[in-house]
Amino acid sequence: MFTARRGWERKGLQIGLIAVVLGSAWLVRETQGAALLELYTGVGKQFQILQPKPSKFDPLKDAKVLELQAQIVDLQNQNQKLKSLLSYVEKQPAASKPIPSRVIGRSADNWWQQIIINRGSSAGIKKGAIVKAEGGLVGIVDSVTINTSRVLLITDMKSTIGVNVSGSGAKGVLRGNSSGEPVLEFYEKVPNVKVGDVITTSTYSKKFPSGLPIGKVKSLDLTKLPASIAKIELFPPISSLDWVAVYSQPRKQLSSTPTATDKQPQKSN
Amino acid sequence: MKIQGFWDRKTKQSKSSQQKRKSKQKEVIPFSNWHPQALQFLDWGVTFGSVIVFLLMLLTRFPGMELLGIGPNWLLIWVVAWSVKRSAFQGALAGIVLGLLQDAMTSPHPTHALSLGVVGFITGLMQKQRFIQEDFISIALIVFGMSALADTIFASQLSFTSDRNPEDIWIYYQRIALASAILSSLWAPVVYYPLNRWWESLKLAEKLAKSRF
Repeated sequence: MFTARRGWERKGLQIGLIAVVLGSAWLVRETQGAALLELYTGVGKQFQILQPKPSKFDPLKDAKVLELQAQIVDLQNQNQKLKSLLSYVEKQPAASKPIPSRVIGRSADNWWQQIIINRGSSAGIKKGAIVKAEGGLVGIVDSVTINTSRVLLITDMKSTIGVNVSGSGAKGVLRGNSSGEPVLEFYEKVPNVKVGDVITTSTYSKKFPSGLPIGKVKSLDLTKLPASIAKIELFPPISSLDWVAVYSQPRKQLSSTPTATDKQPQKSN
Repeated sequence: MKIQGFWDRKTKQSKSSQQKRKSKQKEVIPFSNWHPQALQFLDWGVTFGSVIVFLLMLLTRFPGMELLGIGPNWLLIWVVAWSVKRSAFQGALAGIVLGLLQDAMTSPHPTHALSLGVVGFITGLMQKQRFIQEDFISIALIVFGMSALADTIFASQLSFTSDRNPEDIWIYYQRIALASAILSSLWAPVVYYPLNRWWESLKLAEKLAKSRF
C-alpha cells in the first residue's frame, strides 16, 4: 500500500513536471519568445565592443551620391509643386522620422527569412512598421518586444508586395522565394517591361507607402503561364544587412476597399 | 625464465596502474557528495541552461558557421543528443518542447513541434547503445539523417498548410536540405560531447549519492 502510494506520488511528480515544462514552452511560444529576445539583446550588448563599429549611419560618402541626392530633392520639390498646382491628392508616404537600428540576429530557422533588430517598442516601433536599408525596402516588422523587433524580409516566401514598374507602369505582385532574387508575377500576359527597369511599391499597396524603390528587373520570362514573371535583383544587400532604418506605419486610408494588389498574408501571426 | 619474470612484472605494473586509474576515477567523479535532490536540481539547471544557450545560438551566425546563409540546426542536434540514450517517449517530449520554443523564435505557423517530436521519437527508438557503436561518427550520421527528415516534414507542413507557393518550397528544400544536414552533422559533436559527458557523470554521481544517503 505504502509502496503503491509512493510510486503514485513519484509518477504524479513526473506528470506535474512534464506539464510545467510543456506549459512554459507553450507560454514562451505564445509570447513570441519576448523574454528570450530580451535576454539575447542583453547578452549581445556585452559583446558589442567586439563588433566593428560603422563610422556613421549616414551612407553619404561619395560625391556622386551627394550630387544625385541634391537632384532628387530638387525634383521632389518640383513634383510637389506641380501636384499642388493640379490639386492632386495621393496617399502620403510615411513622413515619420526614421529610427536607425542595428541587425543583431538572423532567423532562427532556415525556412524563414527574418532579422532581429535592436530597437523595439521603447523606441516607438510598432507591428507593421516598414524597414528600409541603403537601397530601398527590406521588410516589415512582424513582432515587437521592448528592446527588439523581428522583421519579415521581402525575400521570405510569405511576403507579397504589390509593385509597379516605374516608367511603363506595369503592375504585379512581388513574391519572395527565400533566394536573393524574388519573383515578380505580372497581371498582364505581355507586360511592358524590359530588363533593367526599376521596381517600386505600388500605390495600391496598403502595407507599404507607394514609391519605395525595391530593385530592378534582372531577367524576364514571358512564356511562363498563367502570367509572365520576372526575376528581381534587390538594391539592398539583404544577405549582409547591418544597419536598417524603421519607419512607422503609413496612415490608413479611409477607403479600405480591398484591391487585387494587396494580397495581405492571412493572419500574419 | 627471465622473460617470464619480465612479463610478470609488466602485468603487475599494468594492473597496479589500472587500479590507480580506477581509484582516481572514483575521486574525480564530481558532485558525488551532494544530496540526490540537489543533484536533481543541478541537472535541471544545466539542461535548461543548455537549451537557452542553443536557442540564442540559433539567432547568431558566427563566422565559419554558415553555408549558403544557412546555419546549423542546434535544437535538432540537442534533441538527438538527448534522445539517444533515453526512451522514445522522453525523446518525443523533448522534441515537442523544443519545437514550441523554436516556434517562439520564428513564427508559430506551421509548428516545429511536429518535426522535432518525430526526430526525438525515432532517435529514442534507435536503442543506440545496443546496436550502434558509441562514437561521434554515429551521432553525426544520426543527426544527418534526422536533419533531412525534419526538413522534409517541415516542407510538407508548409506546402499543405500555408499560403506559400509549393513550387518555391520544394525548390528551396532541394537547396537547403543537404547543406543544413551537412552543417548540423558537422557541429553535432560540439553539442553531444559536453552534454553526454555531463549526463554520464551525473548518472554515476547519483548512484554514489543514493548509496550514501
